[in-house]
Amino acid sequence: MKAGAARWLPLGALLVILAVVAFPFYWMLLSAFTPRAVLFRPPYQLVRVDLSLENFRDLLFATEFLVYVKNSLMAAFGAIVLNVIAATLAGYGLTRFAFRGKRMFAFGTLFSYMFPPMLMAIPLYILFSALRMRNTYTGLILSHMAISLPLNIWIMWQYFQIVPQSLEEAAWVSGASRLRALREVCLPSARAGILSVAIFAFALSWNDFTFAFILQTDRHMFTVPVGLATFVEQTAIHWGMVMASAVLVSIPTFALVFFLQKYLLSGLSMSAK
Amino acid sequence: MAFTVRLEGLHKRFGRRLVAVEDLTVEIGEREFFTFVGPSGCGKTTTLRMIAGLETPTAGRIWFGDRDVTALPPQKRDIAMVFQDIALFPYMTVAQNIGYPLRIAGLPRAAIADKVARVATILGLTDKLDAKPAQLSGGQQQRVAIGRAIAKEPKVLLMDEPLSALDARLRAEMRTEILRLHRELASTIIYVTHDQVEAMTMSTRVAVMDRGRALQIDRPRTVFNHPRNRTVATFIGTPAMNVVPAAIVEGAGGLAVEVLGHRVAVHPRHHGALQGLESVEAGIRPQALRLRPPGSEGVRGVVFLREPLGLEDEVLVEAAGGARLKAVTASGEEFPEGAPVVLQFAPRDLYLFRPESNDTLCHGIDGLDRSPLRRP
Repeated sequence: MKAGAARWLPLGALLVILAVVAFPFYWMLLSAFTPRAVLFRPPYQLVRVDLSLENFRDLLFATEFLVYVKNSLMAAFGAIVLNVIAATLAGYGLTRFAFRGKRMFAFGTLFSYMFPPMLMAIPLYILFSALRMRNTYTGLILSHMAISLPLNIWIMWQYFQIVPQSLEEAAWVSGASRLRALREVCLPSARAGILSVAIFAFALSWNDFTFAFILQTDRHMFTVPVGLATFVEQTAIHWGMVMASAVLVSIPTFALVFFLQKYLLSGLSMSAK
Repeated sequence: MAFTVRLEGLHKRFGRRLVAVEDLTVEIGEREFFTFVGPSGCGKTTTLRMIAGLETPTAGRIWFGDRDVTALPPQKRDIAMVFQDIALFPYMTVAQNIGYPLRIAGLPRAAIADKVARVATILGLTDKLDAKPAQLSGGQQQRVAIGRAIAKEPKVLLMDEPLSALDARLRAEMRTEILRLHRELASTIIYVTHDQVEAMTMSTRVAVMDRGRALQIDRPRTVFNHPRNRTVATFIGTPAMNVVPAAIVEGAGGLAVEVLGHRVAVHPRHHGALQGLESVEAGIRPQALRLRPPGSEGVRGVVFLREPLGLEDEVLVEAAGGARLKAVTASGEEFPEGAPVVLQFAPRDLYLFRPESNDTLCHGIDGLDRSPLRRP
């Protein structure tokens, strides 16, 4: 009996916590599929059968949601590509070359990661205004890199430290140039790191609100999170659409976490070392 | 002109203080099996890496034939290297690993496959070509690493302690294998090891290194029989040479050496070398010490430790003066631990070293000429 309690108690506690954490997600799903007409009509039921795709239809055809998705994808794609290139080269450089100020650079990188996005968003607004880079993908991607690149450099730095130098040297004496050795020998061994860099880059860009909100003032350049905020109007909040878009926006994130959690975790534990 | 690898006054310093290699000059002949041997930190690996182009010498030049390669990167030297940690590419198959240098050289696919197959046959890897390195045993991995190095038939094949990751039995096996390869290949092999047995058994010549300097560069037999100084003498040979303090005394018939409580006359021939010295160090190889029953003429002692090795036993004897000497004797029940024993040695087996400089003063004090023969 006692043994039974010891075994079920933690499980029960977990279930309670899970319920608390998962309930908002469930509520989001449920509301997204609830027709607008009944959404605010009591009683608020935990289980419904009168589901509809009405919110999704409105979202996709009556709003500019698809434009926001496109903008978000462009930003995320750019952030992924540039993060992977920059973090890989920087991480490689940090492990393989000795240069003055290397420690400073490494810690400066981490330090810049500590800033809240808002602190950088305002100076970036001024800067990008002067450079005419507001409402451009380039500007948005660069601002997203400002928050994701420091951690990603750190991750790649850690990864390259466990790729033995002799692998590369073996490639060099085989005749491979430095770049070729990096590509054919180092990168395959650091694949997990590159993948976690890509995931972090995507996640931070996809979820960013601050930069997109401040830098992208043109409606046609809104990303999904900013666009989502426009569903909150002065006179009405389109909860159905907010929830529907929230569902759509979480799908890639869920998919990433679901399929790539192995790499995500190894990336996290690496950067913690 | 024969192809030689020539190191000229090579220096390597890391940072301000650490001197890894100091003033190393040696010419390694075509198809030679040349070994740098020494304790860890003696500069042997750094030397090899400089020959490979993985380190840049602080001073000095490296010549491959009449080509100055000092400033050339590893890619542009006609070399291959086997690394201490094997360093196979984990994401490539055995065939891809062996064929990698050929692929970079731009050989057509068929030629690569052909060459890889031939190398695999030589190394007994034919049935492993599609395996990944992680699926292979340590010995097989080492074979693949060697295969990758010999695939492009380099002028110079560098090996950095290639056997240190293997267990003793495999090591002996691979030694034979490498020797066979040396006979079959047209490459000059430059080998680095801390294992003097490897150095002695495989090399045509060895350079005994210590603290960045080459103490002696000679054929293995010469290094063993005519060590230039005490460090070489004690490093080469197992078990290590015994070294005890000794004194030069003026006797009735000329000079004599007083060692382990015994006075041994020095042949007049060696007087010149010992003139003016009082205290020296005397070395004697364990194999040159004979164990005799108590009461015999010689150095009295007690058996302190006896290590059976099968065919032979290593016996550590505590001599009357307190010095401990190692002897090698036929295995058996005679002279168990704690038994009294007498040690005998012949004057011809004594080495005398100058105490401060460690230089060998003379080898044998019986007057025979043992100066090493010149190479023909």
